[in-house]
Amino acid sequence: MTASDFDAVVREKERIHSGVFRLAFDAPGFLGAPGQFLEMEPCSGPFPMTRRPLTINRLLPGGFEVVFEIRGRGTELLAKKEAGETVRTLGPLGRGWRTDPGRWLLIGGGMGAAGFPFLKSELPEPPMVLLGASSSARLLQTGGHELVATEDGSSGIRGLVTDLLPGIDFSRFAAMAVCGPLPMMRAVWNTVPQEYRHLIQVSTESRMGCGWGVCEGCSIPAFGGGYHKCCTDGPVFMGNELDWNRWTE
Amino acid sequence: MNAPCLERHLWGTDFNSPVILAGGTAGFGRELAELGCLEGVAAVVSKSVTLNPREGNPPPRIQETAYGLLNSIGLANPGVYSVVSQLHEVAVNMFCPLVINVAGETGDEFQEVVRVLEGSPVPWAYEINVSCPNVACGGHPFGAEPEAVERIARSVAEASSRPFAVKLTPNAGSLVETALAAQEGGAAGVTVCNTFLGMKMDWRTGETLLKKKVAGYSSPALLPLVVARVWQVSRAVSIPVLASGGVCGGEDVLELLAAGASMVQVGSRLMRRPFAPAELLREAKALLEC
Repeated sequence: MTASDFDAVVREKERIHSGVFRLAFDAPGFLGAPGQFLEMEPCSGPFPMTRRPLTINRLLPGGFEVVFEIRGRGTELLAKKEAGETVRTLGPLGRGWRTDPGRWLLIGGGMGAAGFPFLKSELPEPPMVLLGASSSARLLQTGGHELVATEDGSSGIRGLVTDLLPGIDFSRFAAMAVCGPLPMMRAVWNTVPQEYRHLIQVSTESRMGCGWGVCEGCSIPAFGGGYHKCCTDGPVFMGNELDWNRWTE
Repeated sequence: MNAPCLERHLWGTDFNSPVILAGGTAGFGRELAELGCLEGVAAVVSKSVTLNPREGNPPPRIQETAYGLLNSIGLANPGVYSVVSQLHEVAVNMFCPLVINVAGETGDEFQEVVRVLEGSPVPWAYEINVSCPNVACGGHPFGAEPEAVERIARSVAEASSRPFAVKLTPNAGSLVETALAAQEGGAAGVTVCNTFLGMKMDWRTGETLLKKKVAGYSSPALLPLVVARVWQVSRAVSIPVLASGGVCGGEDVLELLAAGASMVQVGSRLMRRPFAPAELLREAKALLEC
């Protein structure tokens, strides 16, 4: 679907946990693919000057849903929207997951699992899901069976999501989807045995200006030199397209 | 005084809109054409093109502040030879003229880039970005010195068959003096002005998020600074003044035209509103009809 700029109407809002919100929107005819994102305008006033890029959490009949954490003024304003209010929305934007056939392994850290329900709905067979979070209260569950690690041990094993990897037989998977904070994604990349790394796709994020490929504000270091644009080359990349050593934010 | 007219004339061409897309905020116009956002656009100024490819600054490259936006892109571009080979493809889907913004690290580079661009039928005009640091001169911007601006304008005029504007920097020297120098060197216009030098620092650590520390600052709050500069420069020069900075609504366009601008560029506003040109024109028309 080509991106368009439209007014999405808030259908409902839910506070999932402290500082994390789910907003469902009415947007008849809207389509998008897993891993794509939307540029949403926090307010009608002049500041903030840019929109906020949010992953499409999933499609709903006649609309879509986003899940996000308050990180600053833009997301704070979005979290204040109430049912019936409109949010100017541009999308769908970017390249999403390459939904190759076969069994998938999904590895999510914290808010990084927000887009997994949508990805799962498009996969040919139920994936294996590994989730990590600081505590059970911060887990974003995807529905279905999951292996969980929490830093405080309040759910699943005590530890990081990478602590779940040693027991995994990577040869059983056709693809791996990784999404979470950069240190978590880097740890997963470094922990997965080299012969399976070509199966890894990562969903990246970056501070964005436009979201549609012109301002070059959202650069991510590319393997072999130079930069990718997070917004149009990604936000989902094959792990081996990125220069993990130069990538610091 | 009569209210400003939205029908404009620049360098031999008539336009039914004064709105130009500012350099660095519209790529080469292709993405906006694909989104169907060129309604109301008189011309597109491309991102800066240099002789050699530049990968740009290390990320992060942009940062919002309470009342503005800092950018530190670093003139990322594929270099003029690559640009020229792709210009035809870009122009096929464009319905408005393309102005190529030219940058250089040395005084000679501007002319060299223009010579290569002269090989393409696509550019309608050039915009010479003298705000970039002069590598041979300790990184001090060319645009700070009227002599350097005149020299660059003269060398571009020698190589160019097309009109060009010099995009001036507000960060050093006198804009009126550098504008006069550009005119003296043969520029057909001046763009007033580039972004203002800005910086955001974490007072706890003394660190800046952007690696180059200082960055280009844009904001609707800068509009009065640009109105003042456009007014000063347009009274001093006889060539067209292209206003650039702070434009967020239709009234801003009218105000800059009233201050003496021939055309008005919109930049950062496009980041949030890719349809900004049509919106600005609609708002300005509505105000004029009141």
